[in-house]
Amino acid sequence: MLDSAYARNHRLFYLFLSPSIHMKSAVFVLALVFSAVPAAMTVNAELLKINGSTTVNLPVAEAAEILRAERKMDIQVDVQGGSSGGISMLGEGLVQMGMASKHVSAADRAKFPKCDFVETHIGEDAVALIVSKDVWESGVKALTKEQIAGIYEGRIKNWKEVGGPNRRIAFFNKEPGRGTWEVFVHWLYGDAKKAPPVSFPEVGGNEETRNKVASTMGALSQLSSSWADGRKVFALSLRLDGKDILPTDENIATGAYPLSRPLFVLTNGKPTSGAQMMVDFLLSDRGQELVKKHGYMKLSELKTSEAK
Amino acid sequence: MRRRLTDIAFRTATGLCACVACGLLVVIVWAICQRGWPALSWRFFTEQIRLVGADGGIFYNVLGTGILVLTALAVSAPLATAIALVQAVYLRGRPLGAMLGLFLQVLNGVPSLLFGLIGMIVFVQALGWGKSWLIGGLVLGFMILPTVCVALVERIAALPSRYVEAAAGLGLRRSQIIRSVILPQTKGGLITGSLLGLARAAGETAPIMFTATVFAGATVPRGVSESPVLSLPYHIFILSQDSFDPAVVTKVWGAALTLLALVCSLSLIALPARLKNHEEANNV
Amino acid sequence: MSRWKRPSVTLVVCALLTLVAVFAFMGMLAVFVAQSAPVWRSEGWSFFTQKQWFYRQQLFGIAPMLYGTVVVAAVALLVATPAGIGTAVFASEFLPRRARLAVKVAIELLAGIPSVVYGLLGIVLLRDWIYRALQPFDPLSGDTLLTAGLLVGVMLLPTLMTLSDDALRSVPASQRLAARGLGLTATETALRVTLPQAWPGLLGALLLAGGRALGEMIAVFLVVGRQDNQWPESLLSLRPMAEAGQTLSSKLGGPEINIAYGDPLHWAAMVALGLVLLVLVATLTLAGTLIRRRKPHAP
Repeated sequence: MLDSAYARNHRLFYLFLSPSIHMKSAVFVLALVFSAVPAAMTVNAELLKINGSTTVNLPVAEAAEILRAERKMDIQVDVQGGSSGGISMLGEGLVQMGMASKHVSAADRAKFPKCDFVETHIGEDAVALIVSKDVWESGVKALTKEQIAGIYEGRIKNWKEVGGPNRRIAFFNKEPGRGTWEVFVHWLYGDAKKAPPVSFPEVGGNEETRNKVASTMGALSQLSSSWADGRKVFALSLRLDGKDILPTDENIATGAYPLSRPLFVLTNGKPTSGAQMMVDFLLSDRGQELVKKHGYMKLSELKTSEAK
Repeated sequence: MRRRLTDIAFRTATGLCACVACGLLVVIVWAICQRGWPALSWRFFTEQIRLVGADGGIFYNVLGTGILVLTALAVSAPLATAIALVQAVYLRGRPLGAMLGLFLQVLNGVPSLLFGLIGMIVFVQALGWGKSWLIGGLVLGFMILPTVCVALVERIAALPSRYVEAAAGLGLRRSQIIRSVILPQTKGGLITGSLLGLARAAGETAPIMFTATVFAGATVPRGVSESPVLSLPYHIFILSQDSFDPAVVTKVWGAALTLLALVCSLSLIALPARLKNHEEANNV
Repeated sequence: MSRWKRPSVTLVVCALLTLVAVFAFMGMLAVFVAQSAPVWRSEGWSFFTQKQWFYRQQLFGIAPMLYGTVVVAAVALLVATPAGIGTAVFASEFLPRRARLAVKVAIELLAGIPSVVYGLLGIVLLRDWIYRALQPFDPLSGDTLLTAGLLVGVMLLPTLMTLSDDALRSVPASQRLAARGLGLTATETALRVTLPQAWPGLLGALLLAGGRALGEMIAVFLVVGRQDNQWPESLLSLRPMAEAGQTLSSKLGGPEINIAYGDPLHWAAMVALGLVLLVLVATLTLAGTLIRRRKPHAP
């Protein structure tokens, strides 16, 4: 305990000289005094901290409620920064479990060499391109990959260029770092890094996206397909090789609908015992029912359709 | 005649401004009450959140906000008292005292977001506390320092000089005068300032979102490091962006109404003393 | 004076606690400067003038964010100033004491409404109203600089009104009485006696409120659209007000700070945003406070 307090104070001192985030500097004299406090006062009875994707949050947060009630576990769930927030906070050791709706990329692994990211697949979700009611009713029901890329790159700015009404396309881009966005650009460009730099109004969480698209004429955005209710916001089909493919469960499971993404919980190497209990629960029948309940596909559905 | 018309026109114009301001208050409060009222029930205040905000109540959010606010009080009250005494007693009338006053004003202007950022850099990251109620309390306490301090300084400045003179005439030393005359006579200022500060602290999201609160899972903190709490403002902030169920919307407004009631009752308690002080100071 | 010589315990404790507060603030400033150093070294002044912010390409220019911040604050002040000062003048010059107190109570309550609640109202009500009202100008959505500015304007109202009221009340009542005694109407008294003397206080109030507008985050974040790199074709054009934008604080409060964690330059750029915001706000606040100190002379 003494050692760690010493190390902290020492770090505080020399980091100020070379201020990078890895080193983390600080200068409060006050802080030096306080740095010894938590070590003495912490009672850490196997606390499980989870952070990451809002999409994965839905089943995980509900699973956490059940585990808290039934196993008296101490679990905190937060949703800062989406999937990337989950990955970097796990990488930094700030949480014991990350939630991500995308694979951990090689770049992420390189950024946090000390962290051995282990992905546990808990379900699958499709990203839909959703539009507002006026666009849907004007007859735009599907877009080709080229059209979508054109819109994303700013070459297509009006719905009339893709067979719709004469109205500007109000494209809401998902914030960078959100799993939805990563899946979208991965499909378009093969790699998030190859995505062209663009600036659109950004939306964060799923409800925010749905709200803003529903209340804006000519709106288009990427959203988890389970959220496209078909009343206020509508999921477009993708026109691939002349065929319109809707993000239905079957199309997602067979892979015919390409814009789908795996849902993961992430751990650093072997999970801590608390994290292991969470993983086990999510993979159990009850846990998988939660995945299903929130509109995603459970693992067994994926496997049976793959077998077909 | 022309003068009368100008008078009426000016009165009407400024009166309209006042009506707009008061009208806004009515519209805002009404909009919140109308949406939030259906959510309020006994269960709403006594249960914890369930189903990611769609069910259950906000017990631990209210509790967490209470913990944060009380910690902020414990941090700010001694600091504010000390600074006020230094400024209004020890350095009264000196340039250094004026500088201190200026410092407080600047501190008062610092955007609350930046307090959150510094709390994150120093405590969460450098010292490795993780999110903790204590960081939130420290940050909020520091943030409301000027509010508390200025209220106290005003009160000390308004203290009739004959009180101090009489005490000095009795041969009391300055520290004795402070303890036996100034502090007891001005504690109303400390209370008023604290209440106002707490009202501000309770409603802030930005300083605590990176440092002290999580969305779900925290209950009563049992230590310092890695011991976040839930809170009302962060709950509202997250759910206003992320929610998956119409049931959530009602709950969010219920939480907003609760927060509003909490903050308004804090500032209402402080109001009579504050108004009285202001009116006196300006010799109306 | 010999009895003041030895410092008492009270003095020592007070002085120490004061120093703690002052040094904590200095420390805060130092941390911001130190942590943002890499971006100053790599970008220098172009940090302010570059019009592109693409962190994946390591491009960090904040000109569009400065623009957004200034526009939001300007709209807010434009809305809040007439209403705030008008209300203050009405309350302090025309209303009887009791009615004046009632108005002040209402304003204090308005001041107490937390910014996240304003944000919520902004999302649910104001966004849609603005979207409909702007239809003739074909806005892309209801998330605009104008929406954010109006919302912040409403939030500034209590601050402005309270500070203006203080400024007006600091003009001695005896001067008003004298003016009325000379046969001036209440309006003439206000325009020719009170306002000319109170103007430093009013100007100070504007600056302080401006500082507050620059730093507001939560409410702005929810309605401004958070669109990066919105640099207007003409700085004088009003058109960008009907478009989405980004402010210093909405950028800083967003999820990017979590992404910036592992990347030294990106992190430094984010902290630098905070530093710029701090300097801007502190300057305005300092100026406002100093101007306000120039109280009108007693007769």
